[in-house]
This record gives sequence, C-alpha cells and structure tokens, in this order.
Amino acid sequence: MNTIAIILVIALTIFTIGLSVFSRRFTRTTADFYLAGRKVGSFANASAISGDYLSAASFLGVAGAVYASGLDGVWYAAGFAGGFMVVVLFIASALRRFGEYTVADFAFGRFGSNRIRLLTVVAVLITSLFYMAPQMFGAGTTWQVLVGQGIFGLDAYTSGVVVVAAIIAFYVSVGGMKGTTMNQIFQFWWLAFAMILVVVFAFGSGFSYPKALADESAQPIVNTKAYTVAELTAPDANGVTPYDKAAKIMTAEELAKVDEFIATDADGKIPVAFSAGNKLHELRDMLFREPGHRYNTFDQFSMVLALVLGTAGLPHILNRYYTNPSGKAARRSTFWVLVFIGTFYILAPIAGLAGLGIIRDFLAGGGTINAATVHGLLVKPDQIMPTLGEILGGQWLMGIVTAGAFAAMFSTVGGLLIAAASALGHDVYEKYINKEATEAKRVAFGKASVLVFAGVALLIGLAIPKFGLDQAYPALIAMMVTWAFSVGASAFVPMLLTGIWWKGTTERGATAGIAVGLSSAIAIIFLNILQQLGHVGKEGILGFFGALTFPVLFTFPLAVLTIIIVSKIDGQLPKNVDAIWMRIHGTASERHEKQHGLDKVGSMFGGKK
Amino acid sequence: MGDTTERATQVQHGDHIDTIESVDLVFRAQRKLSFTYGAVFFAVTLAIPAMSVWWKSWYAVPIWGGFTANYLFVSLLYYVFLWTMAWMYSKQADKLDDRLSTMADEITARTVGEEA
Repeated sequence: MNTIAIILVIALTIFTIGLSVFSRRFTRTTADFYLAGRKVGSFANASAISGDYLSAASFLGVAGAVYASGLDGVWYAAGFAGGFMVVVLFIASALRRFGEYTVADFAFGRFGSNRIRLLTVVAVLITSLFYMAPQMFGAGTTWQVLVGQGIFGLDAYTSGVVVVAAIIAFYVSVGGMKGTTMNQIFQFWWLAFAMILVVVFAFGSGFSYPKALADESAQPIVNTKAYTVAELTAPDANGVTPYDKAAKIMTAEELAKVDEFIATDADGKIPVAFSAGNKLHELRDMLFREPGHRYNTFDQFSMVLALVLGTAGLPHILNRYYTNPSGKAARRSTFWVLVFIGTFYILAPIAGLAGLGIIRDFLAGGGTINAATVHGLLVKPDQIMPTLGEILGGQWLMGIVTAGAFAAMFSTVGGLLIAAASALGHDVYEKYINKEATEAKRVAFGKASVLVFAGVALLIGLAIPKFGLDQAYPALIAMMVTWAFSVGASAFVPMLLTGIWWKGTTERGATAGIAVGLSSAIAIIFLNILQQLGHVGKEGILGFFGALTFPVLFTFPLAVLTIIIVSKIDGQLPKNVDAIWMRIHGTASERHEKQHGLDKVGSMFGGKK
Repeated sequence: MGDTTERATQVQHGDHIDTIESVDLVFRAQRKLSFTYGAVFFAVTLAIPAMSVWWKSWYAVPIWGGFTANYLFVSLLYYVFLWTMAWMYSKQADKLDDRLSTMADEITARTVGEEA
C-alpha cells in the first residue's frame, strides 16, 4: 500500500472540496454558476483554461503516447498546443464580444432558430461525453497503480472510476463555475509542478535528452499487447501468429511463461512484446525518433488537423471564453494559455522518453512496480507517469504525480460537467421547459444536471474495459481524447468559423453543417472502433472509412462545404443580420466599458467591481 | 446593459455607437489580420507532416544526438513558433482595436451627423 501517496491524494481531494464549499457562498445567480460572474482576469483565466484543458490525456496520455509510439506520440503534445492558435486567431474575441453563456447561445443568437440551438446542445453533450470517457478511464488505471486494490468489494479499476466521479459531481454541483475556476487554477499549477518534478528527477538520475533519443532509436520500437490463447495462436493473412512475432524478441525466460499459458489453455490474457511496423514508410524500421508508428500518410495530416481544429470545438473550453471581461482580455488569456501549456507539453514527451530507459533499467535491476510489465515495458503505457514517479522519487513523488493525475481529471471533468449542465440547464430548461423559473430553481436544475452527467460519465468509464477498448488501442487515453477533438472539430468549428467570418451563412446551412459534421465524425469513429475490435473487415467502403483513425481530414471540409452549398442555395439571411454582425464584430460595447473602466477585472468573490 | 439601444443599422452603448459601416471596417481589418496569421500558422503546421512523409533528411537524419530536424521542431521549436505568433498577433490585434475604435467613433459621428 502506497500510504504516503494515498494521503497526498486525499489531501488534494479535501482541499478541492474545501475550495468549492468556500466559493459556494458566492454562487447565487446563473451567471455566477455558469460563468463566474464574467469577472475572471487574464492570468487567472489562463491558468483555469490550462487546468480545464490539461486533462488525463495530457498528464498521463501524452507521456504514455510518446513512451509507446515515439515521434507520433509527440505530435499529440504539439497538436494540443497548436489548437489554441485557431482559438486566438479566429474565435476568442468574437465569441466574447457576442457575450452569451454557451456555444448553443451563439448558434441561436447568430442564426435565430430553436432548431440550431437544440442541435448544438445535442452536439455539446455528445462531445462532452466523448471527452469524459478517457478521464474516467484514467481514473481507473491511476487507481490501479496507486492503490492496487478495490474498496467496498469493487475491483481497483471500478473503485477509481466511482470515487473520482463522486468527488467531481459533489464539488462541481456545490461550487459551480466559481468553485470550478478556483479549483482549475490550483489544479493546473499542481500538475505543472508534478510534471516539472518528474522531469527534474529524471535529469537528476542521469537522463540525457539527445543521448536517450539516440539510444531508444538504435532498435525498432517494441509494442506490448495482451492476448488470449486463441488470439496468440491465430495466424494472420501471411500465416504469422502473434506468438511467432513475440518469439522473435522476447527472452527464453519470458517466452517460457507464454508457452506455459498456452500449454495449460489458461483463461484470460497474457501480455507479449513484439517489434512494431512502420505505417508511413513501410520499408523502414519503426524507430522511436521517426514518424509512422501509429499513422499512415492520411492520418499524419488528419491527426494534425483534428488536434489544431478540435480545440476550437471543445465546449468546455469555449465556455471559458465567456468568463473574460473583454475581447482583448480573451486574446491575452489565450497567449498565456499557450505559454503555460506549451511549457507543459515540452516536458511531457521528455517524461515519456525518459520512462523507457528508467523503467527498463529498474526492472532489470530486480525492482518491482504495481503496474503490469512485459519485456521491460509497461503493458499499459498510460501508467508511465505514476510509475516513473514511484521509481524516481519513491512514495512522495508518486503521491505528487498521482495527485496531479487526479487534479487533471478533476479539473477537466469539472469543466465538462459545467458545459453539459449549462447546455441542459441554460439552453434547454431556461429556454424551453420553465422560462419563468426563479434564479434558485435555475441553479438547482444546473446542479441536478451535473449529477446526471457525472452518473453517465461513471457508466462510460465502467463500460470501456467491458468492451475491450483498453486492449484495442495503445495509449487509449490520448486516442479517446482525439476522438472528442474530431467530433468537436467536425460539428462546431465549421459553424463557428463561417458564422463569425462569413455573413452569408444561413440558418439552414449552419444546421446542415453541424448535422453532417457531427454524424459523419461519429460514424467513422465507431467504424474504426469496430474494425479494431475485429467486427468490421478492412475491405470495401466500410473497411476504408473504418481505417481512418481520425476522420477530420474528411469530415471538416465536408461540413464546411455543406454549410457553403446549403447557404448559397438557401440564401435566406436573418432579417436582422446587420444587427447580429454588429454584435459579433462591433466594438461600441468595449469602448463604452473602457471609457468607464468597466473592462477592469473585479473580484470573482464579490469584492471590488 | 441598461444604457444600450439597438436599431437595424446601429447599436449604441453609452456615448459610443456602432454603425454597419464602422463595423464592416473593423471586420475587414480583423479578417485581414487573422487570416494572414492563420495562413502562416496552417502553412507551417501542415508542412511538418508533409515533410515527414516526403523529405527523408527531415525525418530520418539525426542532427543533434538522436534528434532529427523533425523531432527537434515538433518537440521544442514548434512552441517557440506558437508563442511568437500569439504574442505578435495579440499585440497587433490590440493596436488594431485601438486604432479602429478611434476610426469607428469618427465614422459613427459623421454618419449620425449626416442622418441628423
């Protein structure tokens, strides 16, 4: 039992809940609950956006992806950061000037129909669920490493998912956006501190970045995967079985365990290791420093586009832009976000690379760790951060790192729950179900929505291993987050970009664009999952679309074209299109606020205004 | 906002008025700035995978320890590029905002004067 580490995680959790209880007294109106009273300054907002954005995918997934895939994993970090350039260039200040609560509000205000608002609500909820799934999976796998056993009769994975969902549901419903903002600021700085510590400890242990990169690139990348007996002995189209591939690189001692597993026809799965192929340059060995471990030519481009466009389609990030006091402050916030997360993303791949040699040497020296390993490698690469913390700094560093992992999940799921709650509470309840609701009732509905979505997130987290997704993809957390990016990039970004920058966009065009982008992205993602699980073949049209790991290169242009073509055919602009245009691009409000000093940030807690 | 009035072709906040002419001016200038930076951003960002596919010296030849040009750019230099872009854009956009605010006030004063 990692007692010290567990105590640190519990301390973080108590502090988190304490902050929410503290901010509860300042959450009285819906603007407080959903937008922190629009009084969050640039630096604080940048910290909160960074905390919101740096999820389990960034803290656990990026290092895990680099550990498993080398350069193709590093792209996650670069793409996640690059996405904010699209936000700052095309979205941030216009969205803040428009001055509403949610993305659905923007869609309604810009295009003036209930149909597009409700469709946007559906898209927000689906995107949020796609993003919650990897956070919940991260909760389960981190608990496995930290605690190693379950509570109340549950297994370790289930315990992690249940505990995290319960804590987040409590603190978000109590603290609203103000509590969530305070927590996200604290949680960002905590996980940045944890990441810095791991990298400093790695360098302190003798790690050299250029040398390690050369050493790990001296031989092909090795993959790990768990198989049943039947899967191990099933030949592929070339007559080669996974066992044959494993036998080429695993030691005699390691292979003896696999032989025994097969001979006894044991239940369950056993992990094996095998050399990875190069999907981009098929005739080259798959070296750590080269592209191609995960992505072929199409996916190299599609993945980049998914990440850089997807950030602008994440509802919990876009919602945060409404908390800025002005469009200028929104831009300034984004610059600081880029500095914060850029620094973080420079460090995460270093941790992933350092982990390869450090864990291998530690195991070779007779050391033992909680995480499952084979051939000196973690079976689940997403466990690299807490494992590295444990090896480099014992229980203290492991505790700081694990608390950082939970902080990453808390802050992101907190933002997602607020986004989902505002979509249901603000966009549906206040607009359609009970227009006369009192502030108290509106806030109560928002809190109830938080609890419902926390329940849904819990169920998704529990379902992931049941469907075998954790075995179908290496570094599943980063992969699942990219699906959320793909859905957001296909559903929202075309509508936002055309809605902000092309006056000729019509309601029918935008509605059709959201519908086409959303449905095509989801269809291709599920085809890919079904193909990975062996339910869809690789031939024919379904096989082609199923092979697209990231659909954005196909679905984003499709959605944009749909908006343009339908808008051109339709031609019915809103009657008040000039007034709408002035609301998006006009500056009278900001000039007025500047003249009277109203653009200055007050206090989120009701002090100076 | 209590002191805000809205008509079909102008919006007033306190002493400040937006007309469709002043907003179109702001919009065109912002569009030029955003799309110029956007073109540079996407050109550089998409050039990286393009070179990863087609330029062997970029993705396969070590230039410093194990670093290839590709690995060095994606893991370190890309962030410097992003920070520089974001800083320059924000500064230029702020200056543009200030300049356009003055121009917008002048245009609206002229337009409102003509209407009167």
